[in-house]
Amino acid sequence: MSLDALILGLALAPLAAVAGCLIVRRPRGVEAINLAASVVSFGCALPLPFLVDDRASLFWNDYIILDRASAWVVLCSAIVYLLASIYAVGYMRLLDEDRRLFRFYALFAGFGMTTLVAPLMNNIGLYWIAIELTTLVSTFLVAFERVAESMEAAWKYIMVVSAGISLALLGTVLFYWGGTFVLGPTYMMSWAALAAAAPKLNPVLTVLAFLLVLVGYGTKVGLAPMHSWLPDAHSESPAPVSAMLSGALLNTAMIGIVRFLGIARAADLGNLPALALVVFGAASLLIGALFIVRQEGIKRLMAYSSIEHMGVVALGFGFGGPLGVAGAFYHMLNHSLNKSLMFFGAGNVMRAYGTKEIAQIAGVGRRFPTSAALWLAGAVAITGAPPFGLFLSEFTIMRAGLRPSFAWAVVVMAILLIVIFVGFLNHFRSMYYGPADGHAAPAAKLTAWCTAPMWLALAPLLILGVWWPAGIWTYLTSIAHTLTPGMP
Amino acid sequence: MSARNVLLQIAQVLTVLIVAPLIQGIIVQFEERVQRAQGPGIFQPYRDLWKLFHKQLVVPQTASWLFWLAPIVAFTCMLTVPILIPVLTNFPLPESDMGDILGGGLILTLGSFMIVLAGLDTSSAYGGIGSSRAVMVSILAEPTLILVFVGITLLAKSMLPFVVNHLLVSSWAVYWSPAHLFLVAAFFILLLVETDRMPIHSSTHIEVYMIEEGRILEYSGPLLALLKWASAMKQFILYTIFCNVLLLPWWLSIQGTAIGAFGAALALIAKFIFVACFVVFVETAQSRLRFYRYQEPLAASFVFAVLAIIGTQLG
Amino acid sequence: MAIQSLSPLASSLFGLLAIASLLLSFVMLGSRWLKNYLYAFAAESWVIAALSAAVGYYSGYSELYLIAALTLLFRGLLLPYLIWRIIQRLAVDREIHVILQPSSSLVVGALFVMFALSVSYRVAAVFHLELTVAVLALTVMLSMKLIGFLMLAVRHEAISQVLGLLVLENGIFLGSQILVPGMPLLIELVILFDLLIVVACFGVLVGYLVTHVGTTSSLELKRLVG
Repeated sequence: MSLDALILGLALAPLAAVAGCLIVRRPRGVEAINLAASVVSFGCALPLPFLVDDRASLFWNDYIILDRASAWVVLCSAIVYLLASIYAVGYMRLLDEDRRLFRFYALFAGFGMTTLVAPLMNNIGLYWIAIELTTLVSTFLVAFERVAESMEAAWKYIMVVSAGISLALLGTVLFYWGGTFVLGPTYMMSWAALAAAAPKLNPVLTVLAFLLVLVGYGTKVGLAPMHSWLPDAHSESPAPVSAMLSGALLNTAMIGIVRFLGIARAADLGNLPALALVVFGAASLLIGALFIVRQEGIKRLMAYSSIEHMGVVALGFGFGGPLGVAGAFYHMLNHSLNKSLMFFGAGNVMRAYGTKEIAQIAGVGRRFPTSAALWLAGAVAITGAPPFGLFLSEFTIMRAGLRPSFAWAVVVMAILLIVIFVGFLNHFRSMYYGPADGHAAPAAKLTAWCTAPMWLALAPLLILGVWWPAGIWTYLTSIAHTLTPGMP
Repeated sequence: MSARNVLLQIAQVLTVLIVAPLIQGIIVQFEERVQRAQGPGIFQPYRDLWKLFHKQLVVPQTASWLFWLAPIVAFTCMLTVPILIPVLTNFPLPESDMGDILGGGLILTLGSFMIVLAGLDTSSAYGGIGSSRAVMVSILAEPTLILVFVGITLLAKSMLPFVVNHLLVSSWAVYWSPAHLFLVAAFFILLLVETDRMPIHSSTHIEVYMIEEGRILEYSGPLLALLKWASAMKQFILYTIFCNVLLLPWWLSIQGTAIGAFGAALALIAKFIFVACFVVFVETAQSRLRFYRYQEPLAASFVFAVLAIIGTQLG
Repeated sequence: MAIQSLSPLASSLFGLLAIASLLLSFVMLGSRWLKNYLYAFAAESWVIAALSAAVGYYSGYSELYLIAALTLLFRGLLLPYLIWRIIQRLAVDREIHVILQPSSSLVVGALFVMFALSVSYRVAAVFHLELTVAVLALTVMLSMKLIGFLMLAVRHEAISQVLGLLVLENGIFLGSQILVPGMPLLIELVILFDLLIVVACFGVLVGYLVTHVGTTSSLELKRLVG
């Protein structure tokens, strides 16, 4: 199967689903269309990391790039899209919104398509446009439930993120301008062209442009202090959408930062780009830890956990080297799986108990044995405990950071991870084993549609936790070599 | 120091002295005509001055030596500034390097300052209000005025108004450069504020609203005539700086002949009428701003001045 | 078109247009009425379209004429019309609760311009472009960005925030026209259409805000905390 056929299938399946959902308006029909599209996308995305080799493959007039990094991120997005689609079937039935369901699935498929296509963009301008499109489509998904809180969340989301990525556009223009002094007034704005020109780019301009891009796309990723939209948007949207936002969208924004980091490293700017990324990562960990400890809402808890994990990923990329980059990419995959699991569980509990507040939820373990066990396993996993995958990736990142310049960051990371472990599981303790006096009895019944994706998410997490295949290790370290030329 | 130059210098001062009330009259007449009233005629200020010089002088009991000193100092300052600026000729006359742009501004402010003190001197309520308001407006306006002078200096790389005049006449590119246009805009707003026009001025003669006139309420007779003449001359001088240095630097006497000087005086009146049209337009189109909003036109003027200074830095 | 080899007339024309659009963004900062805000934005878009055409004339990239025409059409006419329709539907005319007085915003904006000038001077100095229009282009681009962020921060009406966002984009567009006129046509076209979609989305969202939250003022959006 040729690569461009796979990529076409990957992109066109959700696009066809959008059209299909708008034509077929029956609720069960649109569910099936979206599910089918997600299965097709997953099927196209799964072979990609195996088929792509060390050098990047370019398609369609060099506008699409498929290298190991983008194949990995596309796979993460496809997995989350599939799991969220399965879960959405069960969850949206519980929401009782059958008349508007076709709009939800049309937007959902569109959102899936944009997150699948964005990492494949070779042109830095087109990449920016793809990120902007993801924002626009997901805003309406966040605003799907027509209540005041969702509107507020959607407004903050689109305002903060649009303002942030306009900074990224400024950085992109400045990068392009810097390149014109080396490559001439008109050239193809591809990652490779900029990386090749990087050693001759002027350091002052490159530093300015890189910092702007970091802050701009960092807003989209949710790095502190640009994170203010993230808890609102991720908590007010329906649970499958939250899973997509946390699991798929943050990764696609991160890949842009990683590629620009590669260009900045090639431009030999000293320690500054890596240091900036490490500082943002540490700040995200701090904000995540502080807000997790005193959190009152379930989904906001998960959202702050996303901020924390994106901070860990940023730390991994900032530390650099094969260990750091491999750990960060591995963390992306594990985090996508785990966060989907957590949001699915949170959605189940919300539907069952009818409330979002942790204080109102009690006795989860008694009422829903299977899904509660899965959710608790996911909670243990997301705080970085073995034998799950996140432990391995965080440990690798910490090993990568044990260099004199970044040792402080490793210490901060370790302390904050312990704080998060305690705080996060404390909330779960109160929900599972706390006194169940006078709290609302659970109302709804959870179907298999709601619990099956949780199994599907937990299983690979457990496997990846106890076994890091050598194939994946070499795959990820080869990404490290392409992204940081000249480093051992 | 030829005799002709000295005569020209005296002629400049006399021009300012004699023509100032005429300009005041023209502006008032225009305004009244635009508002479809009859208007008092353009020579009314002369008639007012004549009348005031023949009236009895009444001095309040609470007045001190400052009461006598202030009008004289203000009048003298207004007679001094025309020596420094290009009124009739575009080449420096004797004693014109006594002060540069900043020095001219300093002397103008000295005159206003003395009148502010005089307003406080008689310890009347309306004098105090008028003085405090005038000082507040000048606190907002003076930094901007200094910035405008800085901009002019950076534009011409010199602090003498004559150099600025030559530069603007000789180079179209500098005349139409953004720096110069912004300086014109900033100075226009300051002109409106300093000569007590809208949107600062109140057209009803209620004492509580007065700013400039409140300071001189206690004066009468010849001293009042001197003060009114001094304020008319201040207006004339500011208009002269605006026209001859910034906006319309042409039609000044180059050789210094008598005909040239006379023609320059006529051209000066024509330029004033041109600027007065805009001032009258602003006066009649706008209403008075609330006191707390006086900062807004002055903030706009500040922005213009900053943009002008930036414009001078960009080649 | 290398910036060093521009004729003085071209330089001053670009400079004049760039400063005119900066001036219009100050008008936006200093106005309280939403309609004035909108008209200043429309005028600014026209100025930028004129700049685009001028750059196309002097640099020889004839596709910039197309960009100029599209900018005039979309940014200058269609976008203000869409926003005007949104304003008509709403009950608000101006910012009622002012977080920062317009005059103070003007002064802060002037300080931003000074900061942007110092940064651009430093950046242009490394390319030996100090005395050319590149410094002005960078200054205007960065200061319009900062002024746009200031508008987003101190304005609480939804429409004002949308216009602040559009000023951000305008600033980048202006800078890119002067500094990188050779940017591929495809990118410029797509960014232009993207703006249209953004404003359409905003229109829908503002409608939702009015319906479900009851007001478009972000001072009321206080439900989600922690």
